[in-house]
Amino acid sequence: MAIATQGTASNYLQRAPSPSGLADVVELILDKGLVIDAYIRIAVIGIELITIDARIVIASVDTYLRFAEQVNRLDLTQTEAAGLAELRDGGNGGGDKAKGVFEGMKEKVSGD
Amino acid sequence: MPATALYCYGITAAATAKLQPGAGLGGAAVETVRSGDLAALVSRVPAGTVRARRRDLMAHFDVVAKAFEAGTVLPLRFGIVFDDERALVDEFLRPRQTELLSLLKELDGKVELRVTAHYREDAILAEAVRENPRIARLREATQNAPGGHPALLELGELVAAEVQARTARDTRALYERLRPHAIRFEADEEPIAYQLLRASFLVERKRVEKFDAALDAFAADNAGRIDVKLVGPLPPHSFVELERRR
Repeated sequence: MAIATQGTASNYLQRAPSPSGLADVVELILDKGLVIDAYIRIAVIGIELITIDARIVIASVDTYLRFAEQVNRLDLTQTEAAGLAELRDGGNGGGDKAKGVFEGMKEKVSGD
Repeated sequence: MPATALYCYGITAAATAKLQPGAGLGGAAVETVRSGDLAALVSRVPAGTVRARRRDLMAHFDVVAKAFEAGTVLPLRFGIVFDDERALVDEFLRPRQTELLSLLKELDGKVELRVTAHYREDAILAEAVRENPRIARLREATQNAPGGHPALLELGELVAAEVQARTARDTRALYERLRPHAIRFEADEEPIAYQLLRASFLVERKRVEKFDAALDAFAADNAGRIDVKLVGPLPPHSFVELERRR
């Protein structure tokens, strides 16, 4: 079913029929899915090498200082202009910024 | 110990099980093992352990996805191996037959939709400054202060609290839009920076369009501040729990 082609679809929502990155696949098939009683072996090696290191928020002095730093670096005239441009061009600039959120994310998988 | 073992990808109804042209782990042909009304999708792997390499993970995902095109499938977690057909039938398919059949029935015609939503950092931080006078004041006071201003920590705490409050509010609004179109959902609870939501929704196939439209409306309303992504329709990886047995 190709939902990306429906007539009413806008550009605001990013759509994909299936996960695009390994991290998303890992999330689905290593963390989820049927698991069977303990006596049936789950015989996997190499999983410990897969680390998904997203930036988890912990209430700490470091976190607070980082927030303060970010806010102080912020150019308010810039963000306003960007917001308006966004509204004007229909939200097509979504991709790049979304990547910024994941910049702390690493994938490591044994071999290939 | 036999030289090969059976790697299992997922379970389907015997009636909809089809032989797949594609390959499974290590390029081995995908076969079906039947027991009553159930069929397991399997392929042969060398006995021993299974490695979780990129291509193996993708192969597992692809086999399940292909089966899902033909009908309802219960995806197994990566890495489940049986000694042989007999072990698969005797230790899993037969003792769990009733449960597996009822799961198949329950998930018939339903799909998993995976939704992620993230703030754009600059946009949400700018909101915090503009709409919270205390933050604006402290920002002004600390911005050009040389070295570490003593109020930086307080500023950071305020910003963190403001972002958290906004996250709670926007996430609630997002759930309210989606809930009418979903049967249930499973959310990942880890608090990730600037993430509003990372969740799977179980949705009837015929309601996927409505779900999509509701999410799209949310994305449009929040353009420039929240990036929203929808992945699917996927097999119901997140909705296939069996009761634990000893």
